[in-house]
Amino acid sequence: MLLDSLRRLGEMVLGRLLAIGAALLMLLQSLQVLPGPKGWQRLTQQLYVVGVQSVLIILVSAAFIGMVLGLQGYTLLKDYASEQAVGQMVALTLVRELAPVVAALLFAGRAGSALTAELGLMKTTEQLASLEMFGVDPLHRIVAPRFIAGVIALPILVVIFDLVGVYGGHLVAVDWLGVHSGAYWGNMQAAVSFSDDVLNGLIKALVFAVLVTWTALYQGYMCVPTSQGISEATTRTVVYSSLMILGFDFILTALMFGGL
Amino acid sequence: MPKANLVEVKELYLSRGDRVIFDGLSINVKQGLVTAIMGPSGCGKTTLLRLMGGQLQPTRGQVLAFGQDLACLSRDSLTQLRSRMGVLFQSGALFTDLTVFENVAFGLREHGRLSEQELHDEVLLKLEAVGLRGARHLMPAELSGGMARRVALARAIAMGPELVLYDEPFAGQDPIAMAVLQRLIRSLNDQLQHTSILVSHDVAEACAIADEVILLGRGNLLAQGSPSALLNSTDPMVRQFMHGQADGAIPFHYPAPDLINELQTAAARADRQAARATRTGEVSS
Repeated sequence: MLLDSLRRLGEMVLGRLLAIGAALLMLLQSLQVLPGPKGWQRLTQQLYVVGVQSVLIILVSAAFIGMVLGLQGYTLLKDYASEQAVGQMVALTLVRELAPVVAALLFAGRAGSALTAELGLMKTTEQLASLEMFGVDPLHRIVAPRFIAGVIALPILVVIFDLVGVYGGHLVAVDWLGVHSGAYWGNMQAAVSFSDDVLNGLIKALVFAVLVTWTALYQGYMCVPTSQGISEATTRTVVYSSLMILGFDFILTALMFGGL
Repeated sequence: MPKANLVEVKELYLSRGDRVIFDGLSINVKQGLVTAIMGPSGCGKTTLLRLMGGQLQPTRGQVLAFGQDLACLSRDSLTQLRSRMGVLFQSGALFTDLTVFENVAFGLREHGRLSEQELHDEVLLKLEAVGLRGARHLMPAELSGGMARRVALARAIAMGPELVLYDEPFAGQDPIAMAVLQRLIRSLNDQLQHTSILVSHDVAEACAIADEVILLGRGNLLAQGSPSALLNSTDPMVRQFMHGQADGAIPFHYPAPDLINELQTAAARADRQAARATRTGEVSS
């Protein structure tokens, strides 16, 4: 009984390690060739699909989150007669935490799931096998441009999230609740450091981009080629990506701001 | 003059988990012929085709194409070898983001050194050969199943391959599309003088165009010969498959315990559960 449980545990750990090794190998193989002229064209197409098509959801979410931060910050700070510091609070919360995390979660839900489903369907309809038979490596042709596009797109989406969120906070705190505009922008400028806050937020975005895009592509490439297999792989992409984003966010925050 | 072997499978073993798919299979495919590989569903026909294309590797044994052991080739050598092959996948496997024209042009663009005008002419000739020159602007989603299969056939022969592998070309086709595909496979093989390997379980359609039939079953070769020889075979398994008999040497039932025993065991279990539920009810009341 105990031996059986130990064996199952060992099998599970080995299985997970093998999967991580296979995913790493897939990533390295897909990136070992530099894109040619047609590769740049494919990269541009993918930037449109994973980046530009995610802009709307990022704009709407950032605006609402910025507005909520402005409202909550004002209510909280008013008790201490410090409502002028709301701009600083909105900006630091967004730049350090909310923009990279929420944008990455939205990116996993929109672009990550789409990448997994697309690759899964290509596998199911034998398009990947067909590429192989034409002597074209699907890792270079299909996986690499999508991975690079994801890694480029998410940090840009995070910058957009930051900007729109700050303006959302301004709309509520300044235009509706009467905080002085100069205080909103001035306190923000004084408190937010480019190297400590903005850059660290972008490093987080870059790490999340690698994790989400890599997970999505691996799940799609390795999925069981059936409709149920694609469905399960898509679910795994969203669940694993979300958990990794939250877990790595804590680790990165501890390293960047926690004095570790 | 006897024809040379283009594909040779020697002592092939392949298993997935506990399931043995091939158990020492050895077959030869002769150059210039249309060879049909047939057998019951799940006997490993498509797997064998994937082994011949170098997409799978055997657990043991060798698969040789053009005299080269596919398992021993480097990635580049395998790519070069594959440029001498064409594959018609069961689903057609057309690239859904490309038009019919671009699908057929795909291999030529990747490997050919043709000018744009030469490529255009070559693609139109291939589409003309399958009767779909007029459909060159359509997207794969706009094609019927039979048309998609014909486009995939044009794409498979676009590079002028010496060996064409067909995976279940007749599956799910209406009688007209089936007849068109039959005629195309035979006539293209004769006109372009390549070798065709056809995986199918449609006995009548495959036998009508094949020069030779290889019949697989139980992980090994059941029979090999001309269609008429296999149709007239007295071997019970060969006879059952070739004449489509529901039961015989190849059992209709998947292996299972005795039906009466299984029903009695289930009834006894239900009785025990009912008795246990009654006792629990008495105790709680």
